[in-house]
Amino acid sequence: MPSSPIQPAALEVSDVSKRFGNLQALRGVSATFFPGEVHAVLGENGAGKSTLMGVLGGFVNPDSGTVTLAGDPLPLGNPQSIRKRGVEMIHQHFMLVPAFSALENLRLSQLSIGSADSGLRERAQVTLAKFGWEIPLDIPVEQMSVGVQQRLEILKALLTDAQVMIFDEPTAVLDPKEVEALLELLRNLKAQGKIVILIAHKLQEVLAVGDRFTVLRKGEVVASAERADVDAEKLANWMVGDLPANQAKGDANFGEVALDIQNLFVKGDRGEERVSGVTFQVRAGEILGIGGVDGNGQTELIEAILGLRSVESGAVKQSEEMRVAYVPQDRHRDGLILDFSVIDNLVLGAVSGDEVGSGPFLSSKKTKAWTKSLIERFGIKAENPGVPVKALSGGNQQKAIIARNLYRRPDLLVVANPTRGLDVRATVAVHKEILTAAAEGTAVLLVSTDLDELFALSHKVMFLNQGLLREGEGASAVVGGASA
Amino acid sequence: MKALSGFGRLGGVLLALVLTLLVFGIPVGPGLKLLYEGAFSDKYAWSQTWVITTPLLLCALGICVAWKAGMFNIGGEGQLIIGALFSATLAQKLISSSNTSGLWVLPLLLVGAVGGALYALFAGWLAVKRSVEPVISTILLNFIAIQALGFAVSGPLKRTDSAMPLSVSLPPSLMLPKFDKKLDTHWGVPLAFGIGLIVYVWLFHTRDGFRLRAVGQNPNAARANGIEPDRFRLKGMAISGALCGLAGAIQYLGISGQLGTSFSQQFGFLAIPVALVGALNPLAVLGSSIFFGALFASTTNLSRFAGVGSTLVPVIQGLSVFGLLAFQKFIDDRERILLSKGGQE
Repeated sequence: MPSSPIQPAALEVSDVSKRFGNLQALRGVSATFFPGEVHAVLGENGAGKSTLMGVLGGFVNPDSGTVTLAGDPLPLGNPQSIRKRGVEMIHQHFMLVPAFSALENLRLSQLSIGSADSGLRERAQVTLAKFGWEIPLDIPVEQMSVGVQQRLEILKALLTDAQVMIFDEPTAVLDPKEVEALLELLRNLKAQGKIVILIAHKLQEVLAVGDRFTVLRKGEVVASAERADVDAEKLANWMVGDLPANQAKGDANFGEVALDIQNLFVKGDRGEERVSGVTFQVRAGEILGIGGVDGNGQTELIEAILGLRSVESGAVKQSEEMRVAYVPQDRHRDGLILDFSVIDNLVLGAVSGDEVGSGPFLSSKKTKAWTKSLIERFGIKAENPGVPVKALSGGNQQKAIIARNLYRRPDLLVVANPTRGLDVRATVAVHKEILTAAAEGTAVLLVSTDLDELFALSHKVMFLNQGLLREGEGASAVVGGASA
Repeated sequence: MKALSGFGRLGGVLLALVLTLLVFGIPVGPGLKLLYEGAFSDKYAWSQTWVITTPLLLCALGICVAWKAGMFNIGGEGQLIIGALFSATLAQKLISSSNTSGLWVLPLLLVGAVGGALYALFAGWLAVKRSVEPVISTILLNFIAIQALGFAVSGPLKRTDSAMPLSVSLPPSLMLPKFDKKLDTHWGVPLAFGIGLIVYVWLFHTRDGFRLRAVGQNPNAARANGIEPDRFRLKGMAISGALCGLAGAIQYLGISGQLGTSFSQQFGFLAIPVALVGALNPLAVLGSSIFFGALFASTTNLSRFAGVGSTLVPVIQGLSVFGLLAFQKFIDDRERILLSKGGQE
C-alpha cells in the first residue's frame, strides 16, 4: 500500500505537565512522533507512560503544555473530539462490549465519532482481507480469544482512518506467535505512513519494531534516540537508572524428590483433555521450568498439583506434611483481594498461623508487627499498609503475594508467570526471591510463557504442548517461532 | 470527618421528613414534635424504639454475615418467620404438657435460631450444590415461609378456642422477662446488642471471620490460600439464618406472645437497608438499626395523632431512607474529592 502523496505532519507534544495530588506524573514532557515511524515509549511502572498516553487520548487533561497534530492543537481532555481528529488508542484492557458481535462493536465505535455506518461490513471485510485476518463478524466478542479481540480493537481504529495509532502494552496478553503477528502489523501500519506509538515493557519487542525511542523516568523524558543508537542494555539503563545484574543460578545440589508427577491426565472445564500423560519430578532446591504457549494445559496442571482440580488418572505425589506455596498467574483474579488492605492480603497467607493470632482470634498487634517485618524484608513499597492493596503498583502487589508465600520457607513453590506485566526492577526482585527460595531448599515449579525468565532461572526447562511435556531444546521451535 | 458525615446524614433525614410533612400538608412544627415524641420523649417512647430496633438489628446482623460471605441473602423475612414457627411449635408442645417453667425461654430462643439457620442453609445448599442464586431462592423461600405461617396458624398451631387464625397465647412465664411491667422493653433488647458485638468481633477479629470475608471478596484468592469457599458460604448462611430466626423467636417471645397471619412486620425486609446504611459493619449496624427503630416508632406516633392515617407511615419511612442515602452519596463524593486532593493519583 503506497503512502499518500501528502505526508501528514507529525504529532508534537510540547512541555506537557500533569500533577495528581502530590504526585508529579509528567514534568515538562516534549516529544515528536513522526509519520511512517514506530515510536516506542518506555519506562518503569509509574514513570508516566500511561499518563502521557491518557493526555494523547484525551482522557487526562494536562495542567500545562500543548499537543499539536499537523500543526493544529488537539482538543485536550476531550476523547471524542480527539478521535475525530484521527487519534485512536488500542487499550491494554479492551474496550469492547462482550455480549455484542464484532460488527456491533465496530458500529458502536463508528457511532461514537458520528460516522455513518453504511457499508461497514464491507469495509471491515476489505480491511480484514488486506491484513489476511479472519475475525468472525457475527459472533459475540466474549466467545473470541484475546488475540482475536485485540485484532478487533485494531480493526476498530483502522476503520476510522486513524492517522495516529497508540498501542498501550499490546503484547501483554498475547502468546509469542500473536506477538510476532502484531509486530508485523505495526510495521505494516508504519509503511502506510501512520504515526504508530507503542508502549511496551519487553525490550526485545520494542527493539524489534521501534524506529525511535522515548524513555520516561519519574515523569520526565530521560532519553530520546533512534534505533541505530540504542540496544537493550542502553534502554534498560535509561529506564531504571542502572542495569540490574544478571542472576546467578543456585547450586545443582538437589535434595529429595518433593513433587512426583506420574503419567498425569487432567480434564479442562468443558471435559476436554488438557493434560495428557505428564511425568516429571521436582527435587528440593531444584527449579523446574515449564514453558509453552498459554492454554496448552498449564492451568490445569497447576490446579491438579494444588488439589484444586480433580485428576483423571495418574498420580500427584507429595509428602503429607509438605508446605506448598502458590503464586498464581492472574494477580487480580486469584492472588489478591483487591479491596482488602495490604495487611489483610498478607494475613491471607498465614491466616491459620501463630504469626497473626492465637486460638481462634486474630491479633491486630501481632498482625501489624508481622506484616511490617514482611514489608521490610520483601521491599514492598506501601507507605501505609492499611490502604487497599489495589492502590499499590503491579510490582508491589506481586511482591506482597510472594512475601505471603515465602515468609517461611515452603517445601514446594508453584509459580505461574510471576513477572507478567512487571517492570524491570520488580522483575529482578521477584526473580531474586525465587532463586533464594530454591537456594534454601525449596522445590520450585516455574510455569512461564517468558522464555528469558525460564532460562534465566530454571535448572531444567520443559515445554507443555497440547497437554504433552517435552524436554527443552530449541526453545523457539517448541513455541513456534517465539519472539525471544 | 466521620462526625461531619454523621451530622450530614441526619440532616438529610431531617430535610426529607420536613419535605414530606409539607407535601402532605401537615404543619411542620407539630409534625416534627410528634415524630420526636414517638421515639424519644419518655420511657414509653424509648421502649417502642428499643423493641423495634431489636428485630431490625438481629436481621441486619444476619444480612451482614451472609453478604460478607458473598451470599446475598434477602430471605431474612422468611428465616424470621420460620424461626418464630419453630419456637411456637415447641411452645405449643410445652403448654399442652403443662411445662411452663421460665427455664424453657432459652430453649425456645435457641430453637428459633436453629429453625432460621436450617431454612437459610437450604438456600445455601442450593447455591453451593446446584448453583441457584441465593437472591432468587431466598426471595421465593420468603413467600413459602409466609404461606407456611398462614397454614400453621389456621391448622396445626391454631388455638381451639377461637375462630381466628391465631396460635395459643404464651403464658407469661414463657415470655421473655421485662425490665418494667408497664413497658415493652424485654431481655431480648440487650441480648441483641450483645450479639451485635459478638458478630463484630467474630467477623473482624477471628480467623474464621477473616476467612469468611475473604471468600466473599474473592473466592479464587481464598481457595488459592487453602480456604474452602463453599464451607464458608454455608457457614455464612447458617449464621445469617440463625440471627434472623432468633429475631423471629424474640419477637414472638418478647412482644406478640402468639402467632397470627400478621405476625410478620417485614422486619426481615427492612433489615436490608439497615444493613446497607451500616455499610455491612456490625458496629455501624448497631447505630443504623437504632436510627431505623426510632424512625419507625416516631412515624407510627405521627400517624396515630396527626390523623394522617397509617398508610402514610411507610411513605414517610421510605422517603427518609431516600433522604439518608442521597445525603450519604453527597457526603461520600465530597470525601472522595477531599481525599483525592490530599492523596496520590
